[in-house]
Parts: sequence; C-alpha cells; structure tokens
Amino acid sequence: MNLDYLLKETARNVRRNLTLTLASVLTVAVSLSLLGVALLLQKGVSNATDRWEDGVEFIIWIQPEISEDQKGLIETDLQNSSGIESYRYVSQEEALREFNEDFFPENPEITQLVTVDVIPSSYRVIPAQLNAEAIEIIASSFESKPGVRKVVRATDEISKIETATDVIRWVVLGAGIILLATGLLLILNTIRMAMFARRREIEVMKLVGATNWFILIPFMLEGTFQGIVGASLGTASVYGANRAFEEWLSSDSVLNILQSFAVTGSDVWEIGFLLLGIGALVGSLGSAIAAYRFLDV
Amino acid sequence: MIKLESVTKVYKGEVLALRDASCDIQKGEFVFLVGQSGSGKSTFLRLLNKEEEPDTGKIYVAGKEIGSLSRWRVPRMRRQIGSIFQDFKLLPNKTVSQNVAFALEVIGRPKYVIADQVPAILELVGLQQKTNRFPHELSGGEQQRVSIARAFVNRPLILLADEPTGNLDPQTSVEIMRLLERINETGTTVVMATHDRGIVDTMRRRVIELNSGEIVRDQARGVYE
Repeated sequence: MNLDYLLKETARNVRRNLTLTLASVLTVAVSLSLLGVALLLQKGVSNATDRWEDGVEFIIWIQPEISEDQKGLIETDLQNSSGIESYRYVSQEEALREFNEDFFPENPEITQLVTVDVIPSSYRVIPAQLNAEAIEIIASSFESKPGVRKVVRATDEISKIETATDVIRWVVLGAGIILLATGLLLILNTIRMAMFARRREIEVMKLVGATNWFILIPFMLEGTFQGIVGASLGTASVYGANRAFEEWLSSDSVLNILQSFAVTGSDVWEIGFLLLGIGALVGSLGSAIAAYRFLDV
Repeated sequence: MIKLESVTKVYKGEVLALRDASCDIQKGEFVFLVGQSGSGKSTFLRLLNKEEEPDTGKIYVAGKEIGSLSRWRVPRMRRQIGSIFQDFKLLPNKTVSQNVAFALEVIGRPKYVIADQVPAILELVGLQQKTNRFPHELSGGEQQRVSIARAFVNRPLILLADEPTGNLDPQTSVEIMRLLERINETGTTVVMATHDRGIVDTMRRRVIELNSGEIVRDQARGVYE
C-alpha cells in the first residue's frame, strides 16, 4: 500500500464530508480543552498544597481579655509539649504590621481601617512532626484551654481549597467526558457517511480481493486525523488559558498566596501530549467501531 | 478446480437456495448454470466467492476447502477469482482505464505493473480507443467489456459470470461470449449463470441445471432444456 494512495483517499474523504468533519473536530477540541483545564486545576492545587505543607503550622488565637496567668499556662504547655519544635508569640502590633505588609502594601486606606484591637494576638506553633494526625492531636489539646479563642490549622485551609477545587474539577471533567463521548459518536457517524458514500468502491474492492486493512486504513486515518486535529485545537486553547492565568498571577492585583497555583511549562506539555493521545485514540476508536459495524469485512 | 460436496444453503431459516448440491468442475472447463430465477444460480456463484457461507457441505476452490478459510485469507482467495455481473458494477466517476487500474491498485500492485497491464488488457477486450471515457459514455456491451477487463486483468484461475448478457442485445451478447471463450481458451475456468437459451444451445458446453436449489441435470455439451 503506498502513502500516495492513502493521503489522496483521506484528503478526499475529509473534503467530501467537510461539515460533519468540522463538527467532530470542534467537539473533540472543546471536550479535550475541558479535560485539559480539569488536569491543570488538579496540577495547580497539588502544587499549591505541596508548598503549603512545607510550612505546616497551627495558630492559637487568644482572647483579647486574656490574663497574664492564662498566658503563662499556655506558654508552659507549649514549652513542655514534646510534639512542638518551636513557637512564636505574635503581638497585636506585630500582627497588624504583618497584615498590612503582606496584603495591602499599596493601599494605605484599607490599612487605616484595621486597628490594633481588631486583630488578636496569637501563638504560631511549628510542630515537630509534619504529620496531619499528630498535629491534630496537639492542636486540639489547646482548643479548650482558658483564654484560647480558636486554634487554626493550616491543613484546615488546605482541605477547604481542595474541596472547592475538587467540585469544580469533577464538574469540568464530567462535562469533558460527556463531550468526548459526543465527539466519538460524531466521528463514528462521519466515518459511516464516508463509507456509505463509497459503498460501490468498497464493494468492488472486496470483489477483487483487496485486504480488509487496505479498505479500512483510509477510514481509520480519517477518524484519527479528526481526533488529532481536534486535540491540537484543544491543547492550544489549554496552553493559551494557562498563559493567561500565569499573566494574571504575575500582575500586581493578585494575592501572593495564589502564585503557588502556577503550573510549570513541563506539566503543560505533559497534559498537551496526553490530550493529543486521547484525541488520536478517540478518532481511531470511532472509525474502528464504524468499520466493524458497517463495513462487514 | 471447483468442487461442491453436498452443499446446502438456507436463507433466514426458510428460503432454500441450494439443497445437497454436489459437482466437480475441472480446470479450463466452461460451465453454464441454468434454471429459473430463484433456482439457486446466484447463490451457487456467491458461495464460490465466499460472499455466502454454506449451512452444510464442503466447497473446494483451486484445491482448497474454503469453509475453513479464516477471514483474513479470503481476499487472497478472491484474487484467484474474477467476477462479472449483469449490472457491470463499474465506478461511475472513474474512466475506463481507471476502473481497470483500480482493481490492481487495491491489491497493492506496483505502478509500473499497472501502467503495463491496463493498456494490454484493454486491447484484449477491444477498448483501446476508449480508455479515457467514463462508463456512462459507453454502450452496455462496452461497459461489460470494461468489467471483463477488470475481472481478468489479474489473470484469475476462475471467472464467475452472473448473467453477463442479461442487459445486452443478442448481437452484443454474442460478442461478449466470444470474449469469454477467448478467456476460457487461456485456461481460465468459466462458470456462467444465464437465462440465454440461444447462447447455451449454440455453444454446446457443459450445462448444470438447477431447480429449486437442486441440481437436476449435469450434462456435457448440453443444451438449455
């Protein structure tokens, strides 16, 4: 079988079925970009949580009206607990300064609204073992102590973000998979139409003893071509979306903490190749099913 | 070359197309299959091509039992068999020489072989002047010549013809039969289903008559009835 024949046949089929081909390609493109976004989101969240987990700590916020005795008791416990590596007392003034510097360095008008008595003082505690369960045991032991307002664990915040992104991810992933199935059916139908348009030729081919593969391969190629073109469009839009997100992250108006959501170039490439692979697979699968159902070879 | 052993074929469980049919056709024979419409002639031919499978019995083509042939071997078997039909089955968007070349292209023959064999076979069937015409520009007889060229260009051992003169006038039919005779003289076994009494009676070849799926007569140098 020569390449010339294959390319000629494939090109002719695509031309003949342009509208249906376009519909299949676009559906595959949209579904794979959704899939790509879901994957990016997953990467971003896992990057962010990886970074935060390096500095796992918990914060004991204390009541403003705490007495020196109660403070002393808490500090003794902090010092004596074997599970704690170090801790630091953050006074109201220090907390306010940190707040202003971290979040609103260029917006003094917001800073003016926040005064010392709004922000309570706290202990920042770094546990000896960076293990969620151990931290939970130590952290909760401080919750009921007199003068303690609230114990906030970093893991709480991480899991909140994870839950939120999980929901988004599943919705996007679900939509992507449904659309991908639609794309598969569209490709299947396009190939079926192509086979119907060429049923006389197929009949003659079978009659004179063309092998099944010889009859099938142009149709398989056509389906695979549709899948790959769709996947390329999808990959391009995922890449574009990621670039836009990166640019937005590096602009001034974005909180520092979100920077950790950035997905690196190699991860994007990985996702791109995965999408191309899925596209090719969906295309060849669709045409293979069409061939199996309608060609009767 | 062709052998049937107690072959029975039933369509959809009720229509009996062939019942306990046995016969033996030697290499180089010219055989007419006669009988009314629905007597099983087309089924007989389709079984030889493995377009249909027998329900019981064995079929040998070119020394091989084709019932046990796996699906992927069928194409190679079909390359030894040329087929022509009442309705020619030419591709309307291809010229005469493209139609013939197509049969070689799709079995992977190299270009130089195609360039060599197509003009030669078109000369054999007498269409060297019409190589670039499209089928709709040709007469029925000429279209059948194209289809014969396509069936024979690969030099098959067997030629199956399903009422090849069914759509042609008597004079044209005679010309087509001369062509089939010439092909037969090259050693190709020809099996032809026909209703054409005149042709059968003039040519006096072996006649196999089918009636409701049964072989009721198998006669050397036979006549239509």
